[in-house]
Amino acid sequence: MHRLLDDYAHENGLRDVSPKLKLAIGAFSIIACIASPTPAVPLAVSTCLSAAVIALARIPWRMYIGLTAIPLSFALLSATVVALLSPGEPLMSIGALRLSHEGLWLGVLLVSRTIGGASSLFFIALTTPMSEIFAVLRSMGAPEALVELSMLIYRYIFVLLEEAMMVHSAQEMRMGYSSVRRSISSFAMLASVLFIRAWERGEKLMLAMDSRCYNGMMPLGECNALRTHHLVVSVIYILSITALLLVVIRGGSA
Amino acid sequence: MHIMEGFLPHPWWEIWFVVSLPFIAYGVSRIGRMARERRETLPLLAVAGAFIFVLSSLKLPSVTGSCSHPTGTGIGAILFGPWITSVLSTIVLLYQALFLAHGGLSTLGANVFSMGIAGPVVGYLVYRASQRFNLYLAVFLAAALADLATYIVTSLQLALAFPAADGGVLLSLKAFAAVFAITQVPLAGIEGVISALMFKYILQARSEVLLRLNVISKPDLVKLQEGAT
Repeated sequence: MHRLLDDYAHENGLRDVSPKLKLAIGAFSIIACIASPTPAVPLAVSTCLSAAVIALARIPWRMYIGLTAIPLSFALLSATVVALLSPGEPLMSIGALRLSHEGLWLGVLLVSRTIGGASSLFFIALTTPMSEIFAVLRSMGAPEALVELSMLIYRYIFVLLEEAMMVHSAQEMRMGYSSVRRSISSFAMLASVLFIRAWERGEKLMLAMDSRCYNGMMPLGECNALRTHHLVVSVIYILSITALLLVVIRGGSA
Repeated sequence: MHIMEGFLPHPWWEIWFVVSLPFIAYGVSRIGRMARERRETLPLLAVAGAFIFVLSSLKLPSVTGSCSHPTGTGIGAILFGPWITSVLSTIVLLYQALFLAHGGLSTLGANVFSMGIAGPVVGYLVYRASQRFNLYLAVFLAAALADLATYIVTSLQLALAFPAADGGVLLSLKAFAAVFAITQVPLAGIEGVISALMFKYILQARSEVLLRLNVISKPDLVKLQEGAT
């Protein structure tokens, strides 16, 4: 039922690219999308990064398309509200609702920003395994307790997810989700069993880590080093998006 | 109920990061201190965080037919207190963005404030205030109101960023709240019922865990168990 994006990240085609470079590209793209006053930049970002994810990282495109539906459903709903509330010359009206030129433009801009932002987010999520993100966070000086806690949570997500799926299947086979009433009761039972098992796991985890001389800091592997051709491609991408952004901003103010 | 990547414009996404940061910094420093004092804290908090993530990644049985997820922050605040829950939710939100494509990185500050700070604080206060009257009712109210607080704060965040032409923030808030109410209000009710039931099952199976977390007092527990038999 569940395949987390992280699973794809472990076997993607861009695995050997330096995680710092990938995070930098993702962060730059996100900021470029938000800063852009027109849909041109987010759409360019989305095209470039989607191409990179599908062609270079070799992520199945059907999965990728399905993924974009999640943020898009939220964006369409909220952008409609924004569009209908915006000031400006009325373009058309349905009952009490008025749609203005500016509102329509703002709505389109917001949807395109969400698409661009989602592509940037998926680029990070699908090409960079979490363990490498931890290493980058630690080298950037994030609080030790936070990094350590995140790593332990990461580990236990998979353990608990498996338990939850097992309980869920068992409940489903016994008609646990056949009506709304039963579903609610079954779901509550699933959640409480999960909590109790999690608690027991936590107690065992402490013993296991103590017996392995855990000193509050888990060692992490070395990250991939920066390579010249990766850097060149990234710089070309960043420069062209920046150029487009500047053109768009100039064009808007002129 | 998360704001998606790219939706909040400048300067709002920065503002929500600045607003959330002190809460999270305080929570992190508290966790750091607890971890130094008692070694078992970190593993237990880790499974608690994983529990919140898994709970929020499961699909809830929904009345309206839409795909909806529990937030798990109300029950988290009852069990672990609002500060720790806010740090755990921050990590959970980051994972939701990276693993499930829910939420985003630039909107993380805003989402942390609505789901990780406002929700748990409301849930915790409601639980502590109404605990004396009826424990299950208190859990129901805490979880349901934590959900509602999250949804109202999210609507407010969107309304502040996109005020309406005539009517300003208030009209905009009403519009966003009305649109999201269709899914969020039934969801809050269901999460409240589930949390209360869940509490009941934990109380039956492992009541000592609740005592250790200081969620209920010993006399209350004895009274409840006597009432059940």
